[in-house]
Formats: sequence, C-alpha cells, structure tokens
Amino acid sequence: MDHLFLMIWHALLVSVFFAFLWRTSAVGRRGLFLKTFLIMVVGSAVLGWLMFPFP
Amino acid sequence: MTAGGGSKEKRKKPVDTVKDGSSAGKRRAPLTLLLGAWFLPGLGHWVLGKRKRAAVFAVVIVCAFVTGVLLQGEIGTPRPQNPFSWLAAFACLGNGILSIGRLVWLNGLGGLLSGLPFGLQGGGSPSAAGFAYGNTFLYTAGLMNLLAVLDVSDIARGDKD
Repeated sequence: MDHLFLMIWHALLVSVFFAFLWRTSAVGRRGLFLKTFLIMVVGSAVLGWLMFPFP
Repeated sequence: MTAGGGSKEKRKKPVDTVKDGSSAGKRRAPLTLLLGAWFLPGLGHWVLGKRKRAAVFAVVIVCAFVTGVLLQGEIGTPRPQNPFSWLAAFACLGNGILSIGRLVWLNGLGGLLSGLPFGLQGGGSPSAAGFAYGNTFLYTAGLMNLLAVLDVSDIARGDKD
C-alpha cells in the first residue's frame, strides 16, 4: 500500500480522535483537527524532504 | 491596546473542554464503567450520554485496528529477555475486545489461556511491506482507546464535559 496514503490515513484518524477528545464545540474541533492534521502531514513531508540527502 | 494584545488574551483562555468545578477529583469513576470503556471502544462515552463522541471514537479505533491487521501488523505479546515487548503488549491490549478477539482468532481460546505470558502468537508477517506500519496502527489504536478510558474517568468524576 502507498506509504503517503498510510501516513495521511494515520494523521486523519489521530487528528479526528484528538479533536473530539480535547474540544467540545464544533468550531473548536474543526480548528484543532485542521491544525494537527496539517502539522502531521506537512511536517512529515518537510522532514522527509530534509532527510533526503542523508543515506 | 493593539489587536495583537487582544489575541494574546484570547490565547490565555483555558481549553474549552475543562470545567472549573470545585468538586473536581473528589469522586471516583465506577470501575465497571472504566472496564466497559476499555473492553468496547466508545462504550464508556455512550453510557455517559456522549453519543457522538462515542461513535467517533469507536469508528476511529476500529478503523485504525483493522488497518493494522490488514497491513500484517503483529499484536504485541510479551517476549522473554525483551522488556520493550511488554510496552507493545500493553499498547495493543488497550484495544480491548479487538485485541483479545484477534489473539483468540490466532491462538484459539485454549492456546490463549495456556500460552500466557510468553507463548502467544501475535500474527502478522515481519517480511510484509506494511509490517512496521501495521504495528504502528495497532499501537496507536490501543493507546487512543486508553486515552478514551481516561476521558471517561474525567467525565464520570465531573472534571470535564
């Protein structure tokens, strides 16, 4: 299975879980979901890109 | 006062899920409720009337667990001379009935009881491309369910909505 898809799927599940765990309002949940999801996906891509030159 | 100062004040507000109750921490959550919340993901929130949260937690945890199994991940089981395997076993055991059901599926009920603690088969295939990813999904699902159990405890004690 595609590694990028698995990373996005994992980030999606974890972000939804913590949005519902830590926030009670719909607006709060949406905000936390977007924040954590984007941090995980974009952060992983950036980290992978930075590690690319290393063996 | 600038707009920046206003946003700083806004940021200082407490998380919107935490109550400021003075009776916080005085009561204990019923043990049966916590065991039920662990055994069946989402059950604790459902019993406490948090139906939407219960459904989301159940779906998320089951999806993560099934993904882990489909990727040939291994249910963590204790191994002699390998202390980290206990951590993996603890994380996977957090899945409750999902983890126990998978172990029964792999070992049989007799094998599950006789194989404790070091003789259990956790399934999975280390040579599979998705093995490490599968393990990650299984551990994540179990740890999320354990966090959900702590959340149930907080709600039952009145510390949280």
